Amino acid sequence: MALFWPGAGWLGILGALAFIAVGVAAWLQLGVAAPAGRDDVPAYLEQRQAFSEAVMPVWCRQIEASRSQMEDAVAELAGRFSGIVDKLDTALHLSSATDHGEASLSQVFSHSETQLGEVVATMKAALESKHAMLARIRELEQFTRELRDMAEGVASIAAQTNLLALNAAIEAARAGPAGRGFAVVAQEVRHLSNRSAETGRSISDRVNKISSAIVSACHAATESSAAEDEAMRSSEGTIDNVLREFRNLTDAMAQSSELLKQESVAIKGEVGEALVQLQFQDRVSQMLGHVHHNMEMLPVVMDENRRNYEAGAGLQAPDAQVLLGELEKTYAMAEEHAIHRGEMATAKASDEVTFF
Amino acid sequence: MAKTIMVVDDSASLRQVVGIALKGAGYDVVEAMDGMDALSKLKGQKINLVVCDVNMPNMDGITFVKEIKQLPNYKFTPVIMLTTESQEAKKKEGQAAGAKAWVVKPFKPEVLLGAVAKLVLP
Repeated sequence: MALFWPGAGWLGILGALAFIAVGVAAWLQLGVAAPAGRDDVPAYLEQRQAFSEAVMPVWCRQIEASRSQMEDAVAELAGRFSGIVDKLDTALHLSSATDHGEASLSQVFSHSETQLGEVVATMKAALESKHAMLARIRELEQFTRELRDMAEGVASIAAQTNLLALNAAIEAARAGPAGRGFAVVAQEVRHLSNRSAETGRSISDRVNKISSAIVSACHAATESSAAEDEAMRSSEGTIDNVLREFRNLTDAMAQSSELLKQESVAIKGEVGEALVQLQFQDRVSQMLGHVHHNMEMLPVVMDENRRNYEAGAGLQAPDAQVLLGELEKTYAMAEEHAIHRGEMATAKASDEVTFF
Repeated sequence: MAKTIMVVDDSASLRQVVGIALKGAGYDVVEAMDGMDALSKLKGQKINLVVCDVNMPNMDGITFVKEIKQLPNYKFTPVIMLTTESQEAKKKEGQAAGAKAWVVKPFKPEVLLGAVAKLVLP
């Protein structure tokens, strides 16, 4: 169905009304210009009556059809506006829910940022703890050095004891039979020093092995710690990037939501203006209705005029004031009265409310 | 809970227009095409306010206001007359019938909504 703008329909219908009015006036003038011969008058009046009864219903049907089509078209137009407003409201509601709802994007972002921050802090604390443990392991390496020194001290004491026992054996041999007991003691001391030297070597070997294991563990832990530091820095960078992208996304969505709100307000303003324009259809429809009703009375006036003639009242011009007076009684708008008087009339939206 | 407003007008497009304005302000809308239709649709409805045209077929707006004032459940329901009529005599008729306000068409949505907000029953 072709839709038309109420303003354009208004002008078109007023034009049509003017055209019909000119036609009616010309026809009435023809009616006033009575036939030349008196004998032809009844036939003329009969034909005039038939003419009015033939033409008037067609004119009225055309007006009514126009009125009806206009009403349907404007109702459909208003329905479409209603649909647009509903869709806008839905979009705004969804946007508003995203902005103010419990799980709004900015809230999700803040929550995620906090949680990821906590994860990073926990990982950093674990790394610090590991660094502290590595430092303690390095201290163990120092202890093994001290143990090695102590083992060397034991070996040195054993060697000196052995030398002392050897000197004691020599002195016991020089003393002869009197030093035999002393030689036995010197021999035992030498055994003990040998065993002490052997134990010292054994301790030294074991300490070396432990030291080597600790150095190896320290090396591995240092490498692992460096790798973890690097992984930590990489993770932190990745998290920052993800959060930045997420922030950009939420900012863009917030901007688009704000833009939607602004556009919606502007569109609602436009719709408000359109609502005023759509109401002119109702005014046009009422004016057409009044004219339609008045036109339907024309055949009655013509018939009465004919009857008056037949009753011997003489041939009189139909009285336009009868119809115009009836038309004026139906007016509801100040604008109709102004148009009736031939004045320029404009209708605009009213700001006035009368409270009782 | 949204308040319900009955819109009585013989023009479908006008009912739509008024409906868009009212729904946009958060009201629920019940439509009726004339006074008779409105009276039949009142039954069982909680109506917080009526917006009513004056010139309608079957039952005009002034008669409808007189009728609604006779109904115990709707005696105090405020009625706003929304019409192209702007003569003082007609306004006085509306006031005498029991209408609370008179708004002339074409109306600005904010003007009608202002009157509705002022008069609508809680």
